[in-house]
Amino acid sequence: MRRSVSLYGLTFSLPMLIWQLLFFVAPLVFLIALSFWTVKNFRMEADFDTINWVTMYGRWVFWQSYGLTLALATAACVITSILAFPCSYAIAFKLSARQQQLAIFMMVIPFFTSYLVRVYSWQIFLSDNGIINGVLGAVGMGPFPMLNTVFATMIGYLTLTFPLVVLLQLFSLMFIDRTLIEAAHNLRCGRIRTVFAVVIPSARVGLVIAALFCFILSFGDFVSPLYLGGGDPTTLSILITDTTKSGQQWPRAAVIALTMIATLLAVAFAAVGFAYKGRTK
Amino acid sequence: MTGMIRPSAGFTRRTLLATGAAALAMPMLGRRANAQTTELTMLAWYGHAEPDMVAEFEAENNVKFVPKYYTGGDNMMGLISQSPPGTFDLILSDAEYVQALNAAGYVEELDPADYALDDYFPEFQNFPGNWQDGKLFSMITRFGFLGVAYNTDALTAAEAANYNVFWDPKLTGKVGHFDWHLPNLGQLSLLNGNVNPYDIDEAAWGALKEKTMTLRPQIGGFFDYGGTFSSLNDGQMLAFCGIGDWITGVLRKNGAKVDSVIPEQGGLQWSECFSIGKGSAKAELAKKWIQYITSAKGQAKSAQMAAYPALIPNQKGWDVLQAENPDEAKRQGMTKDAGNAMDMIRAGRIKYREWPIQQDLGTWNDFWSEYKGS
Amino acid sequence: MNDFNRNRFVEFGLRFYIFLSFLFVFAPIAASFVFSFNSDRFPSIPLGSFSTEWYVAVASDPLVWAGLRNTLFVGLIVAVISTALGFGAAYTDFRYRFFGKSAYLALALLPPTIPVVILGLAMLAFLSRINLSGQSISVIIAHIVICSPFAMAITRLRLSQMDPDLEAAAWNLGASEWAAMRYVIVPFAAPAIFGALFITMAVSFDEFAVAWFVSGLNETLPVKVLGFLQGQVSPRINAIGTFVFVISMTLVIFAQLLLTGGAKDAQSASND
Repeated sequence: MRRSVSLYGLTFSLPMLIWQLLFFVAPLVFLIALSFWTVKNFRMEADFDTINWVTMYGRWVFWQSYGLTLALATAACVITSILAFPCSYAIAFKLSARQQQLAIFMMVIPFFTSYLVRVYSWQIFLSDNGIINGVLGAVGMGPFPMLNTVFATMIGYLTLTFPLVVLLQLFSLMFIDRTLIEAAHNLRCGRIRTVFAVVIPSARVGLVIAALFCFILSFGDFVSPLYLGGGDPTTLSILITDTTKSGQQWPRAAVIALTMIATLLAVAFAAVGFAYKGRTK
Repeated sequence: MTGMIRPSAGFTRRTLLATGAAALAMPMLGRRANAQTTELTMLAWYGHAEPDMVAEFEAENNVKFVPKYYTGGDNMMGLISQSPPGTFDLILSDAEYVQALNAAGYVEELDPADYALDDYFPEFQNFPGNWQDGKLFSMITRFGFLGVAYNTDALTAAEAANYNVFWDPKLTGKVGHFDWHLPNLGQLSLLNGNVNPYDIDEAAWGALKEKTMTLRPQIGGFFDYGGTFSSLNDGQMLAFCGIGDWITGVLRKNGAKVDSVIPEQGGLQWSECFSIGKGSAKAELAKKWIQYITSAKGQAKSAQMAAYPALIPNQKGWDVLQAENPDEAKRQGMTKDAGNAMDMIRAGRIKYREWPIQQDLGTWNDFWSEYKGS
Repeated sequence: MNDFNRNRFVEFGLRFYIFLSFLFVFAPIAASFVFSFNSDRFPSIPLGSFSTEWYVAVASDPLVWAGLRNTLFVGLIVAVISTALGFGAAYTDFRYRFFGKSAYLALALLPPTIPVVILGLAMLAFLSRINLSGQSISVIIAHIVICSPFAMAITRLRLSQMDPDLEAAAWNLGASEWAAMRYVIVPFAAPAIFGALFITMAVSFDEFAVAWFVSGLNETLPVKVLGFLQGQVSPRINAIGTFVFVISMTLVIFAQLLLTGGAKDAQSASND
């Protein structure tokens, strides 16, 4: 690896740096400063007071929400990864090249539909008088309460992240060296064992990155917990909106936001480190 | 073969992108060119700048409304506080926020002589929050009542006319909250017998918190605007706390079996006011709009707004509505019959929704979060 | 693929699983499409009568068209610039080691971690002070901040599959750094670049929270959808959803046809 600073290197590294410095760091710094402001009579006043941090961290509601959001997001990333894997595996290994392209194309389609609209549509499926209960009712079962539960929130998270996770997993699986698999088969490895001993480790980067994206998106999402989960439990994203209803309490909301950012950053670094562990590149 | 295809594919790809980008850029330039009509910006709840409200005014005054709809008063204030002054010509806000807008200097002063205040019911001519130190800063244009919203198949009107119905065992898991502390705690405060639901001392506040906590097992969810509509319409929730006809009126118009009733313990009143944004370059035109919407004709229109119906403070507006749409006038209680909306206010059955007086707003909100999390 | 380990039931099971996955993904989209023709204002079973009134309402609303133009305009520009920035950053991470690299990476990857409501307010606060708020350019700036990490992650993933010696080999054979980039790195990373273009555009297309704050009065379509969902609940939402979907699908199909035309040739060329 060359160390000298060259025009070539700078051309690639600088634009991102400059852009983020210009348009991202400033708002971020503002956000940090905001968390020290005080609010009087619906007006925010520039200040340097730690009261927001002290108050927020002293409330059990905050920690309960934090724990619940962490648990939900972890569950979402595990469930989504597990549910997506057979699909991405099948697309990578069981379809012809043309079928693969068609499958990828179809997986990209949901990205161009509104997530809001899709969540709104799920309500029709999951409500007590909805489509799923209607079908179950026709065979004499139910009705099962599905809407306004954690189950519905999970469905929402899946709607948000499933296509992305499949595509990211696929990206890694598609480019696995097939000779490794052949070698495993030649050494009399069974199907399942090949998957766990060869395929998954080879695709580790893609699998971990996919799970990480799922975690990040689920952690910060407020649409699914609100519209499908009935606002119950209160996730951190909902708590942020709630906090502002204390009369322009954006400073306290900023405290929650900064805590979320720090958490996600820690998780991201850990995940990326694990994903690329042992590789020189 | 491959060598022949690739360059041409690149050619068409490039030209497609180029022409596409050009085609998209054109309308952006074209939009500003049509400067014949004046644009008036309005910051409001959804529906206030829709054709059913503004088409007549736009035609008569050669105006085009450009709305910015918000989904919560705090988002609205956040937006105003960070936008350059003069961005919004007209601001529609709940009465509670008007005081905040004024305190922060976001609205222009109004001249009472410009508006038909004399046509208003006496109770609304000096509406608190519109005035500050004897000066006028906003005009109340619509209001409504908050009570018990319920599914008419599940409950009778008589059953629903009491806040205690929320604790009914047959409604377990089927009671919803509109996710804002203010109307919900206000209603439960009325249930606890407080004369002014928002002006309670520490003992009463403690009692209110205790009573509220007992309701938690009954609750099926906490919903925003859209979620409230869906839940009631689907029958997912059979009773709702914290809302009124502004939701059920719309649902009824579309055939849902829901209704609202003011219970025996009393109801709350929400109110909306229009003000002119500070630094607006079109203050004259904005004034004309406020005059229009506070006039009898405009008021009748306001009462029948498609997004959500409301009661109106202009007496002459009631007359126009009775002539134009007697069924709606009857439904909302804006008739000359006994027990109409004004009678209810005068009988003391309706209390203003307002910020808590003896406690901090943050205190009420913090409790609400704890209630949700328990 | 060899024939050892092929089991008909497993094959069928996996293919059926793919079918189920697509069923899950497309169920809400299909339902939305169906309900956009429903005469009832609020969606419920059983359906009302067939009606195109919502499409008429949406198509005759000039603000919806303005929103759509804004969204497309913003989306295209955001996709191109984000992918470029993301590629540069991914390549930098791939190739160089330097002091402050962790900070560089953190800066590049941080934006998606920030809750959108807060980010929206913070960006508005900042942009309004430099007179860049309330316009399409504001949304573009904010979205590039949000989307380039996605582009970077995807490109970095692809680059990790490349043998770094390939680049060094090119240099040894006399290629300049630029030439190696052009003939070795970029073609290898091409799938990721196209993937990044689509995903960043899609992210921008659907982003409503930050856009609500910074777009001011020049709203994008997702902001309008949010407004409809929260205020005027009606099948207009579904109509717009279908509208946007059809238009963007047309664009994607166009792009795919052109790209797969080139990619297939490249593949058949490499298979020879």
